[in-house]
Amino acid sequence: MTLLELKNISVHYGRIQAISDMSFSVEEGEIVSLIGANGAGKTTTMRTISGLLSPSAGSITFAGEDITRMKAHIRVVHGISQAPEGRGIFPGMTVEENLDMGSYGRKDRTKVSDDLERVFDLFPRLKERIKQLGGTMSGGEQQMLAIGRALMSNPKLLLLDEPSMGLAPQFIRQIFKIVTEINNQGTTVLLVEQNANQALARAHRAFVLETGAITHRGTGKELLANPAVKEAYLGVG
Amino acid sequence: MSTTDGPTLIPDDSSAQEIADREAKMRRRKGWFPGLSDKWNALPRQTQWLFLIIVVVIAYLLPILNPPLITTEPGNNWQIALAQMSVYALIAVGLNVVVGYAGLLDLGYVAFFALGSYTAAMFTSPDSPYVHIPYLWTLPLAMAVAMFFGVVLGVPTLRLRGDYLAIVTLGFGEIVRILATIIPAMKGQVGFQNVGHPPGTDSAGQTIFQNSNGTPWYWLTLTIIIVVLLAAGNLERSRVGRAWIAIREDEDAAEIMGVPTFKYKVWAFAIGASVGGLSGALFAGQVGFVNNQKFDIATSILFVAAVVMGGTGNKVGAILGGALVAYIPLRFTAIAEFKYLIFGAALVIIMIFRPGGLLPARQSLLAYGRLAYNKLRGTNGDIPASGKVVLQSGKGADK
Repeated sequence: MTLLELKNISVHYGRIQAISDMSFSVEEGEIVSLIGANGAGKTTTMRTISGLLSPSAGSITFAGEDITRMKAHIRVVHGISQAPEGRGIFPGMTVEENLDMGSYGRKDRTKVSDDLERVFDLFPRLKERIKQLGGTMSGGEQQMLAIGRALMSNPKLLLLDEPSMGLAPQFIRQIFKIVTEINNQGTTVLLVEQNANQALARAHRAFVLETGAITHRGTGKELLANPAVKEAYLGVG
Repeated sequence: MSTTDGPTLIPDDSSAQEIADREAKMRRRKGWFPGLSDKWNALPRQTQWLFLIIVVVIAYLLPILNPPLITTEPGNNWQIALAQMSVYALIAVGLNVVVGYAGLLDLGYVAFFALGSYTAAMFTSPDSPYVHIPYLWTLPLAMAVAMFFGVVLGVPTLRLRGDYLAIVTLGFGEIVRILATIIPAMKGQVGFQNVGHPPGTDSAGQTIFQNSNGTPWYWLTLTIIIVVLLAAGNLERSRVGRAWIAIREDEDAAEIMGVPTFKYKVWAFAIGASVGGLSGALFAGQVGFVNNQKFDIATSILFVAAVVMGGTGNKVGAILGGALVAYIPLRFTAIAEFKYLIFGAALVIIMIFRPGGLLPARQSLLAYGRLAYNKLRGTNGDIPASGKVVLQSGKGADK
């Protein structure tokens, strides 16, 4: 079943077009990766899906419902949750308070403790640092917190914006392993990455984004084998 | 390939030490009273109340005690000084909701103060040709008027971000002042004399609330401050309060957590405006005279300075900052002329050495309430094996 569908989406910043006529869909249970260079429109796509930006043309459908004009804070309740780029945690709040904010929009407060346990299972590190201020943690820990916080709304679709940004290679692998685990637990994941290698290896399907438009699409393995993609994003000619 | 330049995900011993050091450094930076708020939170509830009651009693006794060295006499009447300090403290508490909690830089807060003053003046002063109502009724009316204009100003401008909001509010502050000058009904510089006051006479038949006697005005304002503080404290701990803090920390992140950011920003603006209106009405009553001279931009900036100096986001700090801003020029009359110079320098110094203000904000923002918070603090370093413990104690707090 199609969970998320973008149809002919265009996004403008003032008069500058960041995304032109983009269409793609995400099926339930998938990991889908969007890869591309700086300025290709990856983060713009993410912010459009989460509702922080509104498209100038096109439509977005989520779980069969048109959400094109829906406010971001309502999309969360409908099941779209984002771990923003640059981690975007609340630096002056503790780990616990950050996670608590993640469940802000929820009505079913009784189930929140189950999700907290799930987050602590995925990231034992967060449990150890429960009272630490978010802003005083290391980059990797902040990334864990951002993902954990996004999971606290028990989303159907998890949007991850550059989870590997600024992390050392061994921890990138670990973050991606956890992403796969989250997916195995039943959450659909849409991933935006510059680290094409990991993103493609982990994805069921993937898209390559160039200057606001999709140029290649296929399964993760296909794109890994695609010579053009290899040359441009995987550093092998 | 180097693995040392990236942040560490699972620290080994040395990096764990490094993190501990960094935390220790952060803690030391907290200032002159290390661990004061921790100690305060660790005290039993009864002891906290006892302390608060003592502080409140002393505050009420201040006009009678007239403590040497602290007093503003002989230069300025101490009771009237106290009345003005309390009004400034109330202003700072109100502005703190806007600037401190929600992080919206409002440089035109004086406009709401002016609206409150004019509401009180135009409905009670014999100089005003309009309907006259008892003074005490003008207090809620001033709040309502200021709140209304807060919403009117807030709805279009709160869609803007930081800098733009500051500029628009700055403009609004000037608009109100200029309107007071050019609208004949608001009487410009001539103003309104004999603004009303609360009813009541003492045993000798003298009016209690005289303009020349600051004590009753101080007590009235102090009482209102306590009520507003209790209300603000409850808001702070509510869902609304947590939403404000989240907006202040990162507006986009708050929005994608499900916080209706726009709505809550308008709320903060309106609530702050109403407190500004209330303090304006109190000020008008105490001084007994309102014209267009007191509501300039410099006053507005002074209000912001009071909040920043006291500790943005800390209501007790705001009271301290507001009272100090009024107190310093009254106490040190020799330097009163240079007050903006001195406040400017003081602000720079405070921002360098105490970036959080005199009393930095650090509230617990948890939905689960104080109980769970203290429990966590009690288990210091020894986190319960199951994450459930944390939330079980919170179930009682959930509706």
